[in-house]
Amino acid sequence: MNIDNDVIPGLFADPTQLPKESDLQELLRLWQNERHAPEILPSNGELLSRVLDQIRRQSDDANALRRDANLSEEEHYMTMLVQTEVERVKFIIRSYIRTRLFKIEQFARHMTNDPEIQARLSQAELTHARRYTALVEKQFTTSVLGHLPDTQRGLDDDVPTLPNMVTEPDKDRPVFIHARQACGPVQLPDGSGFEIANDSIHLMRYHTIEQLLARGEVELV
Amino acid sequence: MSLPVALRNTISPAELEFIASEEIVEIRPTVKMDKIRFISGIYGPFIGGRLVKVPLWMAVNLKLKKKCNIVAPSWLSVDFLQEKLTQETSRPEFSSLPFRFAEIAKVMLDVASDDLMHPEKLRSLLKDLREARQAKSRDGLRLLSDNALSLPHLCSMEINEIRPFFVRGMGVLIQLAADRPNPPDEFTL
Repeated sequence: MNIDNDVIPGLFADPTQLPKESDLQELLRLWQNERHAPEILPSNGELLSRVLDQIRRQSDDANALRRDANLSEEEHYMTMLVQTEVERVKFIIRSYIRTRLFKIEQFARHMTNDPEIQARLSQAELTHARRYTALVEKQFTTSVLGHLPDTQRGLDDDVPTLPNMVTEPDKDRPVFIHARQACGPVQLPDGSGFEIANDSIHLMRYHTIEQLLARGEVELV
Repeated sequence: MSLPVALRNTISPAELEFIASEEIVEIRPTVKMDKIRFISGIYGPFIGGRLVKVPLWMAVNLKLKKKCNIVAPSWLSVDFLQEKLTQETSRPEFSSLPFRFAEIAKVMLDVASDDLMHPEKLRSLLKDLREARQAKSRDGLRLLSDNALSLPHLCSMEINEIRPFFVRGMGVLIQLAADRPNPPDEFTL
């Protein structure tokens, strides 16, 4: 990575085009988007495994160096810096996974019914969603539902006058967005079109910018 | 195991500082070290007195071990901030500042105040700026609708500060709009 070209200290990178990102910058953005989005976003297994590989390589190198008895004080300090970065990256990954775990448990039943959302989960996440749904259902049945009449046992009844029993993400929830490039007009809920200028910041319904987020044209802040 | 409740709808200021710590700053090392490969890139070589670009977290680490001086970003100066403050108090819109200026300024003042010119003056300017901008964000609440709200030049820390209230407020407006009887003009006494 050439740090001279792609980052201006304290500012966003070159505003005229999408900056070429390092894996770490991409991971940071993925994590922040996931934190702010009301629904679960597509996982990026390739990126994660690349970063995990790098973590492994850096830790191995640092450990190998540390075993060397003739290490100077400076070299020792360097391995400490490398280890610090590894811990920072691990923190991001952990927080990212935990955010997804929270959403999976919140919307488990909804996910197990919707193949389009299942495609966004990794295999391990999908297994967890299925097992979690089954466990909750079993617990509800043995503790309460089993003692109720058959007609009142459903966990996904759809009564028109009542809220849906299956928790779904609230796509109307407003989110703060930052445009990474000029985006074509989006349709606002009142029907008017709206141009999102490059580098601008807005508060909008998640639903309105869902597609832009998926294409990476905006990020959540 | 899943995310703690307090972090489910927002990001904490500590996490914002963590994110800002990936921004690149310039340092003047006082020690000699080779190039080092990191996950985010290759930094160095570190040669006494020669400017090197590193992420802020690394600069802080080196600084705390007295192995470098951090070069203040150009916007972290009395002249620049004084001008921004004048703009801020004389015009209705937010003046443009780096997106993560609050976090970076805090870290710089905490660990490297001896590398800054007039740190006390900077501190009070930043405080004044914050107050002037805070008053404007509060005023911006007037513009909140169920549609969309533009927030030009708002910074990451400020967004985080208004997030709970604005998101909740807009949520209420969205609900009200959804319940609005349609069409409204049929209503007669």
